Amino acid sequence: MITCDEFFTEFADYLENRVSAEVRHELELHLSQCRACHVLYDSSRKTIKIVSESNSFELPQNVFDPIIDRVMSKLRTERS
Amino acid sequence: MLNKPAPQLASNNASSELLKVLHFARLKHRVLFRCSPWRIFPRATRTVNATKSCVRTWNRRIYSLSGDSQVDGVCMTFLGDVGQARQFDPFVVFREGFAFVPNIVQAQSALPRAMQAHAKLEEAVVFRDGAISRIHKERILLSVAAHRRDKYCVALDSGVLSSIGVPQAQIDDLLKDYRHASLPAPDQASLEFCLKLSRNPTSVRFEDIEALRTLGLGDRAIVEVVVVAALALYRCTLSLALGPEADFKSPELPMANIETAREATLAAGATGSRPKTERRGPYVLAPFLSRSTFQPFATVQKSHGFIPNFFRAQTLRPDLLEAELDAVGLILLPEDSLTRAQKESILLAVSAANLNSYCVAVYFNLLRGLGLSAEEADQIAVDHHLSNLSKADIALLDFAVKLGTRFSEFSREDTAKLRTLGFSQEQILESIVVTALNNFSNTLQMGLGVEPDFEPPAVFEKNKMNLPSPQPTLMAREGVVHLVDTSLDADSELVAQAQSGNLRSFEELVCRHTQLIYRALIAILGDAADAQDAMQDTLLSAFKHIGGFQGRSKFSTWLVSIARNAAVQRLRGRKNMESLDDNDNQEDHDFRPRQIAAWQDNPEQTHSKFEIRQLVERGLLQLPAKYRIIVMLRDIEQLSTDEVAHQLGLTVPAVKTRLLRGRLMLREWLAPHLSTSARGATQ
Repeated sequence: MITCDEFFTEFADYLENRVSAEVRHELELHLSQCRACHVLYDSSRKTIKIVSESNSFELPQNVFDPIIDRVMSKLRTERS
Repeated sequence: MLNKPAPQLASNNASSELLKVLHFARLKHRVLFRCSPWRIFPRATRTVNATKSCVRTWNRRIYSLSGDSQVDGVCMTFLGDVGQARQFDPFVVFREGFAFVPNIVQAQSALPRAMQAHAKLEEAVVFRDGAISRIHKERILLSVAAHRRDKYCVALDSGVLSSIGVPQAQIDDLLKDYRHASLPAPDQASLEFCLKLSRNPTSVRFEDIEALRTLGLGDRAIVEVVVVAALALYRCTLSLALGPEADFKSPELPMANIETAREATLAAGATGSRPKTERRGPYVLAPFLSRSTFQPFATVQKSHGFIPNFFRAQTLRPDLLEAELDAVGLILLPEDSLTRAQKESILLAVSAANLNSYCVAVYFNLLRGLGLSAEEADQIAVDHHLSNLSKADIALLDFAVKLGTRFSEFSREDTAKLRTLGFSQEQILESIVVTALNNFSNTLQMGLGVEPDFEPPAVFEKNKMNLPSPQPTLMAREGVVHLVDTSLDADSELVAQAQSGNLRSFEELVCRHTQLIYRALIAILGDAADAQDAMQDTLLSAFKHIGGFQGRSKFSTWLVSIARNAAVQRLRGRKNMESLDDNDNQEDHDFRPRQIAAWQDNPEQTHSKFEIRQLVERGLLQLPAKYRIIVMLRDIEQLSTDEVAHQLGLTVPAVKTRLLRGRLMLREWLAPHLSTSARGATQ
């Protein structure tokens, strides 16, 4: 079985689902037997999911509209 | 030991012939019995030493880069003395494998590391025992050389086959039509496959590999078949440009060899479109090899910033991988002749001409890592004549592209032209070797069906390597000609209208990308009010410069670069300016998580959406800006890693490194709130 260091060197690609079938097999074998790496993988996957679904830093329409209005008004004035 | 006379030699020197006969006896013994013959032929060894002066004359029959018309002259900087050269490792390797040092190797004497690289490849691919026999490897080499009508390589391969006991009739059949050479079915099929791979690599499919498997070839044998075909093209590229004198008398090449009926069928099949449900690569098994235990992977990680799938696909033969990596290191890394950027540019231009989108994407990113802008690297891939390269460098790429892809047009005048532009003998030789290495890599990639590490550059159409004949759409605008696939960018119509001054179209365009712009701004500035102010600057700047947008990237990518500039301008006004451009140091690579408590099964069920969003936003604001922007663009805006790299002007490996680091730092920050032990506190 691969070591935790070896697991970690492939970790970024594994999270991105960019490993070959053979590498995936080795990593998942390791995950099934190493609690620390399993926690790392599970919590990292959840982090990505939470961040992806959080809609963080969404610019509200009532903030954006005045900005676009000011910009378009300035551009129209410059043109005329 | 000899059952038949050794092949007729090109040299008339009797002592030299004697020497070769003795060497051939050793070689034949080695091939047939797979053990060192030296114990059997001690007398031969002494004879070899005694007659080394004869070799000097024989070995120096080469014409080459000087442009001199004499055939027998020594035109390159050879190692001073063959006696000294006997100690030179590559010569030892070739004597062990061929029983002599072929002229094609000696023709590289101006650059000893090129000979070292060649020896590494030949030793691992041809000389070392593997899943397919040496005789069959030589058959493949001969057939590919005959198809390329490379007289030097045909003479070499015929001579070697003859010397190891293959009947002349079979050699003649291989030259005329391999189907009449009475080969076992798997050998014939693998030859057919190699001809297809060398003739029309973009036509190779998973089904071709499956056909070999059904005939009993294992994956290891298939890897070897592919790599032998690749080496044949490496040799042919060198031979074409170096023009060494034949080591053996050249057999006549029948015209019929150019296109057998079967090959014509294969070629015809290649012009059809690929099935939609085509099985993708990699085509062979690739056991896991870790960079922490397989040293060559650690080295390539350091030099490239990542381990290309190209190398991962060959892990069935770690020794082969090691030899390839050594060869790559010897050819590409030193900068005592051509610069690394010149060499990577050759690889990019020739790969693009070969329509190999895998290699184009790799070399594009490597050039980006060397400091070339994405636009400049794009231009080299599409048409280097319109790049900002010097006249000499453009000529260098012309030379390499012609040598690598239009070999029937190549002549010695091409070499002479480079010399008149001031390139030294070593530089010309290195460009030849780099081109040969490129053809080796392109062939290997196509044969193994290696999956892309990155998206190819936007201007190089996706899946280009799968297109049997290139039909690029050429568009000229402001002196730049590039490939454009308008279907890639849904904004193109509105952009064209906005460029002609339509304000309504511009408004619609920017409204489409409000969130992307805002998130890029807040990721860099880390402050909502600043980001809103910078948003206005960004939109005004975008309208001012939209006329200069050339469509070489997506419009959204261009908008982010405008936003980035606006944000950086604002950062400059701050006392403690945070840099986005810090190089990733060892600490980035060595970062290890400390929080190891398990997380709740469904944090979304124990926290409201509002709580989660606040937690994430606070966590993101804790990150250094260079990580924050990548996590936000990748995980919130859901851009691909390649798109993020393009938008931020970073290499893909740099984005991958920062993305992992950013995600792990965010995970560390979230862990106390979302671990199982935190459940009670938050409920």
